[in-house]
Amino acid sequence: MTLPAKNSPKERDIALLAAIAAGDRHALEELYLSYHRRLARFLSRFTPRYENVEEIINDTFMVVWQNAKEFRNASQVSTWIIGIAYRTALKSFRRQKNHAATGSLEDYPEQTVDPTFDAEVHDWLKHGLSRLPIEQRLTLELAYHMGHSLEEIAIITECPVGTVKARMFHAREKLRQYLPTLSGGPPEMPARLG
Amino acid sequence: MTHHHRTEKSAEHQEVSALIPWYVNETIDEAERQRVENHVAVCAECRADLSVQQRIFEGIDAEPALDYMPVASLKRLQTRLDALQSAPALAPPPEQQSDGRMPWRGWMAASIAAMAVAVALLAVDGWVRFEARLTQPNYRTVTNSSPRPQGEVIRAVFSPTITLVELQSILDEAQLKIVSGPTEAGVYSLASKSTLPVRSSLALLRRHPAVRFAEGTLPEPEAVNPQ
Repeated sequence: MTLPAKNSPKERDIALLAAIAAGDRHALEELYLSYHRRLARFLSRFTPRYENVEEIINDTFMVVWQNAKEFRNASQVSTWIIGIAYRTALKSFRRQKNHAATGSLEDYPEQTVDPTFDAEVHDWLKHGLSRLPIEQRLTLELAYHMGHSLEEIAIITECPVGTVKARMFHAREKLRQYLPTLSGGPPEMPARLG
Repeated sequence: MTHHHRTEKSAEHQEVSALIPWYVNETIDEAERQRVENHVAVCAECRADLSVQQRIFEGIDAEPALDYMPVASLKRLQTRLDALQSAPALAPPPEQQSDGRMPWRGWMAASIAAMAVAVALLAVDGWVRFEARLTQPNYRTVTNSSPRPQGEVIRAVFSPTITLVELQSILDEAQLKIVSGPTEAGVYSLASKSTLPVRSSLALLRRHPAVRFAEGTLPEPEAVNPQ
């Protein structure tokens, strides 16, 4: 294991988390501000409502505050925090799904884009992503939006590497079916794809 | 081609296919990267998949993202932490609960102590509330009695989803700068950074839909009425 350079973000995170474990509220505030943008950008891909984004971030940092002493350097601090955010978000999204009238992820506001009227790749992609089961989409977004490695995603999601690969495989398969324009085929209506 | 050869080829195909997303996001090591490139060079299916995954990756990466104002959110977290930290004050520490000697005496003592503390706190709280009722009006304002930051001329509330760029643009246009805030209620104290009259800054602020509230804090008529 290579030691991080002096004052590197990793070293700073570890120092802040140690201070938080000792009850330092200022350290928590500093860590919060340094992660807020990254988490907000990630979470806002799943919900356009800032109240939901803020609730997940604040719930995450409540856990960080209460469990900083449990951190054992088994992973990077960033992976640990994103793992907490992942589980908090997953609970929140499942709760929203249960409360939705139809109980479908298709009710997420992101899918209000109607590809009938706009066949731009961007809209197809957005619509296709919104139709993925939440675990598959989170895995894909952790890789493609957050840029995490396979092993990091396994730690974040607390799943074996094989499960991460399987989720990514199924996500890719569904997107491939759903996004014919990306693979060079003619655009088709999503309804025809079943 | 033998069955054994086909099976080997199929296994290699599946393993490399599973690596493609992490080849695309550039988080695999050099040996795996080379393995993917070698396979993709001879496998049309993986080549096509790689192209699709690259377009998905670029599509996700290219999506515009909003920037949020974290300070107001942090204030709300701090309020929750304050509540959390004050809540367990009456709970006995764990070691008192595991005292094996005459546990009823420990519980009794703890209960009496807790009740005494609770009664004392209720009495103090009641007195404080009583005093507060005597001295405070029965309404809340977005301002408070704390000293105003030096130079403050305007108090404003912005949309919670305003981006940093938008906020800075609005403030630049109105020739204002933040001197403090936001408060728990999301109120910013703003000061002028030019000779532009306060009433002109107010008028510019109020033009923006992202500005929920803007009022002058100085008694000049022009600060209150932008007309």
